[in-house]
Amino acid sequence: MVPSTRYCNTVSNKLSETSTDGELVLRARKGDDIAFGLLVERYQRAVYAVAISVTGRHEDAEDAAQEAFLVALGRLDECRSPDRFAGWLMTIVRNRSKNLIRRESLRETDQVPPGARSWAPMPDRIAETRELRYLLEQALAGLPEVQRQIVLLHDLEGWKHREIAERLELPAGTVRSHLHFARKTLRLALEELPGVPEVLRKVQ
Amino acid sequence: MNKTFDRSSGSPAELGRDMALAEALASLDPATEDPNYWFLFRGWVMTGAAGELARRRVIAELTIADVLASWSRTLVPTALLAATIAGTMLLQARDAPSARHVGVEELLVSEVSNETVATLLFDDDATGVVMFVSGGF
Repeated sequence: MVPSTRYCNTVSNKLSETSTDGELVLRARKGDDIAFGLLVERYQRAVYAVAISVTGRHEDAEDAAQEAFLVALGRLDECRSPDRFAGWLMTIVRNRSKNLIRRESLRETDQVPPGARSWAPMPDRIAETRELRYLLEQALAGLPEVQRQIVLLHDLEGWKHREIAERLELPAGTVRSHLHFARKTLRLALEELPGVPEVLRKVQ
Repeated sequence: MNKTFDRSSGSPAELGRDMALAEALASLDPATEDPNYWFLFRGWVMTGAAGELARRRVIAELTIADVLASWSRTLVPTALLAATIAGTMLLQARDAPSARHVGVEELLVSEVSNETVATLLFDDDATGVVMFVSGGF
Protein backbone atom coordinates (compact mmCIF):
# COMPACT_ATOMS: atom_id res chain seq x y z
CA MET A 1 0.00 0.00 0.00
CA VAL A 2 1.36 3.39 -0.92
CA PRO A 3 1.26 5.82 2.01
CA SER A 4 -1.01 8.66 1.14
CA THR A 5 -0.65 12.16 2.46
CA ARG A 6 -4.34 12.91 2.17
CA TYR A 7 -5.13 11.85 5.73
CA CYS A 8 -2.10 13.63 7.04
CA ASN A 9 -2.88 16.91 5.38
CA THR A 10 -6.45 16.81 6.59
CA VAL A 11 -5.63 16.39 10.25
CA SER A 12 -2.58 18.63 10.13
CA ASN A 13 -4.68 21.57 9.08
CA LYS A 14 -5.96 21.64 12.63
CA LEU A 15 -2.48 21.60 14.13
CA SER A 16 -0.50 24.69 14.94
CA GLU A 17 2.25 25.90 17.19
CA THR A 18 -0.31 26.34 19.95
CA SER A 19 -1.36 22.69 19.88
CA THR A 20 -0.56 20.84 23.07
CA ASP A 21 2.14 18.22 23.25
CA GLY A 22 -0.56 15.63 23.81
CA GLU A 23 -2.34 16.52 20.58
CA LEU A 24 0.89 16.52 18.60
CA VAL A 25 2.02 13.20 20.05
CA LEU A 26 -1.29 11.54 19.20
CA ARG A 27 -1.03 12.83 15.62
CA ALA A 28 2.62 11.85 15.32
CA ARG A 29 1.74 8.34 16.43
CA LYS A 30 -0.41 8.09 13.32
CA GLY A 31 2.50 9.23 11.17
CA ASP A 32 1.58 12.89 10.88
CA ASP A 33 4.85 14.46 9.80
CA ILE A 34 3.65 18.00 10.47
CA ALA A 35 2.82 17.13 14.07
CA PHE A 36 6.18 15.47 14.56
CA GLY A 37 7.89 18.42 12.90
CA LEU A 38 6.21 20.78 15.36
CA LEU A 39 7.44 18.67 18.25
CA VAL A 40 10.97 18.75 16.86
CA GLU A 41 10.78 22.49 16.37
CA ARG A 42 9.42 22.99 19.89
CA TYR A 43 12.06 20.95 21.69
CA GLN A 44 15.14 20.84 19.47
CA ARG A 45 16.95 23.56 21.40
CA ALA A 46 16.14 22.09 24.80
CA VAL A 47 17.15 18.65 23.62
CA TYR A 48 20.43 20.06 22.35
CA ALA A 49 20.99 21.92 25.65
CA VAL A 50 20.53 18.72 27.64
CA ALA A 51 22.73 16.78 25.20
CA ILE A 52 25.56 19.28 25.36
CA SER A 53 25.30 19.42 29.15
CA VAL A 54 26.05 15.69 29.16
CA THR A 55 28.46 15.29 26.24
CA GLY A 56 30.22 18.64 26.39
CA ARG A 57 30.94 18.65 22.67
CA HIS A 58 28.86 20.16 19.92
CA GLU A 59 29.36 17.23 17.54
CA ASP A 60 28.31 14.68 20.13
CA ALA A 61 25.41 16.79 21.33
CA GLU A 62 24.19 17.15 17.76
CA ASP A 63 24.32 13.38 17.18
CA ALA A 64 22.68 12.59 20.52
CA ALA A 65 19.92 15.16 19.96
CA GLN A 66 19.05 13.82 16.50
CA GLU A 67 19.23 10.26 17.72
CA ALA A 68 16.97 11.10 20.65
CA PHE A 69 14.23 12.41 18.37
CA LEU A 70 14.36 9.32 16.17
CA VAL A 71 14.33 7.00 19.18
CA ALA A 72 11.42 8.94 20.64
CA LEU A 73 9.48 8.56 17.39
CA GLY A 74 10.17 4.84 17.29
CA ARG A 75 8.95 4.45 20.85
CA LEU A 76 6.15 6.97 20.71
CA ASP A 77 3.59 4.33 21.63
CA GLU A 78 5.45 3.81 24.91
CA CYS A 79 4.87 7.44 25.93
CA ARG A 80 2.02 6.76 28.31
CA SER A 81 1.28 10.40 29.10
CA PRO A 82 1.46 12.32 25.84
CA ASP A 83 0.99 15.60 27.73
CA ARG A 84 4.24 14.87 29.55
CA PHE A 85 6.12 14.23 26.34
CA ALA A 86 8.84 16.77 27.15
CA GLY A 87 9.95 15.02 30.34
CA TRP A 88 9.90 11.68 28.58
CA LEU A 89 11.97 13.13 25.73
CA MET A 90 14.51 14.64 28.14
CA THR A 91 15.02 11.22 29.73
CA ILE A 92 15.68 9.75 26.30
CA VAL A 93 18.18 12.43 25.32
CA ARG A 94 20.05 12.09 28.62
CA ASN A 95 20.32 8.34 28.16
CA ARG A 96 21.34 8.61 24.51
CA SER A 97 24.00 11.18 25.40
CA LYS A 98 25.42 8.98 28.13
CA ASN A 99 25.41 5.97 25.82
CA LEU A 100 27.18 7.98 23.15
CA ILE A 101 29.92 9.00 25.57
CA ARG A 102 30.25 5.41 26.78
CA ARG A 103 30.51 4.09 23.22
CA GLU A 104 33.11 6.64 22.25
CA SER A 105 35.17 6.18 25.40
CA LEU A 106 35.30 2.45 24.62
CA ARG A 107 36.59 3.23 21.14
CA GLU A 108 39.30 5.54 22.37
CA THR A 109 42.63 3.82 22.67
CA ASP A 110 44.24 6.36 24.98
CA GLN A 111 43.48 6.21 28.63
CA VAL A 112 41.20 9.06 29.52
CA PRO A 113 40.72 9.93 33.18
CA PRO A 114 37.09 9.67 34.29
CA GLY A 115 35.27 12.92 33.75
CA ALA A 116 37.93 14.32 31.49
CA ARG A 117 36.04 13.24 28.35
CA SER A 118 33.15 15.53 29.03
CA TRP A 119 33.57 19.24 28.70
CA ALA A 120 37.10 19.08 27.40
CA PRO A 121 37.12 21.47 24.47
CA MET A 122 39.30 20.45 21.53
CA PRO A 123 42.37 22.65 20.95
CA ASP A 124 41.18 23.51 17.45
CA ARG A 125 38.10 25.04 18.88
CA ILE A 126 40.12 27.72 20.60
CA ALA A 127 39.65 30.01 17.72
CA GLU A 128 38.85 33.67 17.72
CA THR A 129 35.15 33.27 17.08
CA ARG A 130 34.83 30.40 19.51
CA GLU A 131 36.83 31.76 22.39
CA LEU A 132 33.82 32.79 24.38
CA ARG A 133 32.25 29.45 23.87
CA TYR A 134 35.44 27.73 24.92
CA LEU A 135 35.66 29.76 28.11
CA LEU A 136 32.05 29.03 28.93
CA GLU A 137 32.56 25.35 28.33
CA GLN A 138 35.50 25.43 30.71
CA ALA A 139 33.41 27.14 33.36
CA LEU A 140 30.47 24.79 32.83
CA ALA A 141 32.82 21.81 33.10
CA GLY A 142 33.15 22.56 36.78
CA LEU A 143 29.44 22.02 37.37
CA PRO A 144 27.68 18.74 38.08
CA GLU A 145 25.71 17.49 35.10
CA VAL A 146 22.31 18.24 36.61
CA GLN A 147 23.34 21.85 37.33
CA ARG A 148 24.56 22.26 33.75
CA GLN A 149 21.21 21.04 32.48
CA ILE A 150 19.27 23.34 34.76
CA VAL A 151 21.30 26.46 34.11
CA LEU A 152 21.19 25.89 30.34
CA LEU A 153 17.46 25.19 30.29
CA HIS A 154 16.69 28.15 32.53
CA ASP A 155 19.08 30.85 31.43
CA LEU A 156 19.56 29.81 27.84
CA GLU A 157 16.20 28.29 26.88
CA GLY A 158 14.10 30.36 29.26
CA TRP A 159 12.29 27.44 30.84
CA LYS A 160 10.66 28.18 34.19
CA HIS A 161 11.50 26.30 37.38
CA ARG A 162 8.19 24.51 37.24
CA GLU A 163 8.80 23.36 33.67
CA ILE A 164 12.31 22.17 34.45
CA ALA A 165 11.12 20.40 37.60
CA GLU A 166 8.36 18.65 35.70
CA ARG A 167 10.45 17.69 32.74
CA LEU A 168 13.58 16.62 34.61
CA GLU A 169 11.44 15.00 37.29
CA LEU A 170 13.00 16.99 40.12
CA PRO A 171 11.37 18.88 43.00
CA ALA A 172 10.97 22.59 42.25
CA GLY A 173 13.01 23.48 45.36
CA THR A 174 15.87 21.31 44.14
CA VAL A 175 15.79 23.07 40.78
CA ARG A 176 16.03 26.50 42.44
CA SER A 177 18.83 25.30 44.68
CA HIS A 178 20.77 23.80 41.77
CA LEU A 179 20.31 26.96 39.75
CA HIS A 180 21.55 29.12 42.60
CA PHE A 181 24.68 27.02 43.13
CA ALA A 182 25.30 26.66 39.41
CA ARG A 183 25.32 30.43 38.94
CA LYS A 184 27.54 30.93 41.95
CA THR A 185 30.04 28.34 40.72
CA LEU A 186 29.94 29.73 37.21
CA ARG A 187 30.59 33.25 38.46
CA LEU A 188 33.58 32.14 40.50
CA ALA A 189 34.97 30.02 37.68
CA LEU A 190 34.62 32.80 35.15
CA GLU A 191 36.31 35.29 37.47
CA GLU A 192 39.32 33.04 37.76
CA LEU A 193 39.67 32.27 34.07
CA PRO A 194 42.04 34.52 32.12
CA GLY A 195 40.71 36.34 29.11
CA VAL A 196 37.09 36.32 30.15
CA PRO A 197 35.23 39.21 28.59
CA GLU A 198 33.48 41.75 30.76
CA VAL A 199 30.05 40.42 29.82
CA LEU A 200 30.78 37.15 31.56
CA ARG A 201 32.16 38.81 34.66
CA LYS A 202 28.76 40.42 35.17
CA VAL A 203 27.15 37.02 35.63
CA GLN A 204 25.38 36.91 38.96
CA MET B 1 18.78 30.43 20.39
CA ASN B 2 15.33 30.68 21.83
CA LYS B 3 14.84 34.36 22.46
CA THR B 4 12.06 34.02 24.97
CA PHE B 5 13.61 36.28 27.54
CA ASP B 6 10.29 37.35 29.00
CA ARG B 7 9.41 33.91 30.24
CA SER B 8 10.88 34.31 33.72
CA SER B 9 8.32 35.80 35.95
CA GLY B 10 5.55 34.69 38.25
CA SER B 11 5.97 33.39 41.76
CA PRO B 12 8.21 35.20 44.24
CA ALA B 13 10.23 32.02 44.65
CA GLU B 14 11.06 32.05 40.95
CA LEU B 15 14.65 33.06 40.37
CA GLY B 16 14.63 35.52 37.54
CA ARG B 17 16.47 34.82 34.39
CA ASP B 18 20.06 35.98 34.49
CA MET B 19 20.21 38.04 31.34
CA ALA B 20 23.98 38.49 31.41
CA LEU B 21 24.41 34.77 31.75
CA ALA B 22 21.80 34.14 29.07
CA GLU B 23 23.71 36.47 26.76
CA ALA B 24 26.93 34.63 27.48
CA LEU B 25 25.39 31.20 27.15
CA ALA B 26 23.97 32.17 23.79
CA SER B 27 27.46 31.58 22.41
CA LEU B 28 26.81 27.87 22.97
CA ASP B 29 23.95 28.05 20.51
CA PRO B 30 25.04 26.56 17.16
CA ALA B 31 22.85 29.17 15.47
CA THR B 32 25.32 31.87 16.45
CA GLU B 33 27.66 30.52 13.79
CA ASP B 34 25.00 29.37 11.35
CA PRO B 35 21.65 31.17 11.51
CA ASN B 36 20.03 28.34 9.56
CA TYR B 37 21.27 25.73 11.98
CA TRP B 38 17.93 24.86 13.61
CA PHE B 39 16.14 24.82 10.31
CA LEU B 40 18.74 22.38 9.00
CA PHE B 41 18.65 20.35 12.21
CA ARG B 42 14.90 19.91 11.88
CA GLY B 43 15.42 18.82 8.28
CA TRP B 44 17.97 16.18 9.30
CA VAL B 45 15.63 14.78 11.92
CA MET B 46 12.65 14.76 9.55
CA THR B 47 14.70 13.01 6.87
CA GLY B 48 15.72 10.36 9.36
CA ALA B 49 12.15 10.01 10.57
CA ALA B 50 10.54 9.74 7.13
CA GLY B 51 10.54 5.95 7.02
CA GLU B 52 9.06 5.51 10.47
CA LEU B 53 6.41 8.17 9.83
CA ALA B 54 5.43 6.47 6.58
CA ARG B 55 5.16 3.12 8.37
CA ARG B 56 2.93 4.69 11.00
CA ARG B 57 0.71 6.27 8.33
CA VAL B 58 0.21 2.93 6.63
CA ILE B 59 -0.78 1.27 9.90
CA ALA B 60 -3.08 4.14 10.87
CA GLU B 61 -4.88 4.11 7.53
CA LEU B 62 -5.62 0.39 7.62
CA THR B 63 -9.37 -0.17 8.06
CA ILE B 64 -11.34 -3.33 8.74
CA ALA B 65 -12.29 -3.36 5.07
CA ASP B 66 -8.59 -3.27 4.13
CA VAL B 67 -7.86 -6.17 6.44
CA LEU B 68 -10.82 -8.16 5.07
CA ALA B 69 -9.78 -7.35 1.53
CA SER B 70 -6.26 -8.59 2.20
CA TRP B 71 -7.65 -11.75 3.76
CA SER B 72 -10.07 -12.25 0.88
CA ARG B 73 -7.20 -12.39 -1.55
CA THR B 74 -6.22 -15.77 -0.11
CA LEU B 75 -9.46 -16.85 1.53
CA VAL B 76 -11.77 -16.59 -1.48
CA PRO B 77 -9.77 -18.88 -3.82
CA THR B 78 -9.25 -21.35 -1.00
CA ALA B 79 -12.95 -21.36 -0.14
CA LEU B 80 -13.88 -21.80 -3.81
CA LEU B 81 -11.51 -24.72 -4.17
CA ALA B 82 -12.85 -26.34 -0.99
CA ALA B 83 -16.45 -25.86 -2.17
CA THR B 84 -15.66 -27.42 -5.53
CA ILE B 85 -14.03 -30.44 -3.93
CA ALA B 86 -16.90 -30.83 -1.46
CA GLY B 87 -19.48 -30.53 -4.25
CA THR B 88 -17.74 -33.16 -6.34
CA MET B 89 -17.59 -35.54 -3.39
CA LEU B 90 -21.28 -35.01 -2.62
CA LEU B 91 -22.26 -35.72 -6.21
CA GLN B 92 -20.22 -38.89 -6.21
CA ALA B 93 -21.78 -39.99 -2.94
CA ARG B 94 -25.29 -39.41 -4.30
CA ASP B 95 -24.62 -41.65 -7.29
CA ALA B 96 -23.36 -44.49 -5.09
CA PRO B 97 -25.89 -47.22 -4.13
CA SER B 98 -27.25 -46.71 -0.69
CA ALA B 99 -28.44 -49.17 1.94
CA ARG B 100 -31.92 -50.45 1.51
CA HIS B 101 -34.19 -52.47 3.69
CA VAL B 102 -35.17 -55.87 2.40
CA GLY B 103 -37.73 -58.09 3.97
CA VAL B 104 -36.74 -61.61 4.88
CA GLU B 105 -39.37 -63.02 2.62
CA GLU B 106 -38.19 -60.94 -0.27
CA LEU B 107 -34.64 -61.91 0.44
CA LEU B 108 -35.53 -65.54 0.27
CA VAL B 109 -37.07 -65.19 -3.17
CA SER B 110 -34.82 -62.61 -4.79
CA GLU B 111 -31.18 -61.88 -5.31
CA VAL B 112 -29.35 -58.98 -3.84
CA SER B 113 -26.69 -57.48 -6.08
CA ASN B 114 -23.12 -57.21 -4.89
CA GLU B 115 -21.91 -58.30 -1.59
CA THR B 116 -24.00 -57.73 1.44
CA VAL B 117 -23.29 -57.12 5.07
CA ALA B 118 -26.01 -58.01 7.48
CA THR B 119 -26.84 -55.47 10.11
CA LEU B 120 -28.89 -56.28 13.14
CA LEU B 121 -31.74 -53.92 13.67
CA PHE B 122 -33.14 -52.98 16.99
CA ASP B 123 -36.26 -54.71 18.07
CA ASP B 124 -38.33 -51.59 17.65
CA ASP B 125 -37.29 -50.93 14.09
CA ALA B 126 -39.01 -53.68 12.19
CA THR B 127 -39.76 -57.19 13.08
CA GLY B 128 -38.51 -59.65 10.59
CA VAL B 129 -36.66 -57.07 8.56
CA VAL B 130 -32.92 -57.25 7.94
CA MET B 131 -30.98 -54.35 6.60
CA PHE B 132 -28.40 -55.02 3.97
CA VAL B 133 -25.82 -52.60 2.97
CA SER B 134 -24.67 -53.10 -0.52
CA GLY B 135 -21.89 -51.49 -2.29
CA GLY B 136 -18.45 -52.11 -3.52
CA PHE B 137 -15.93 -52.86 -0.82
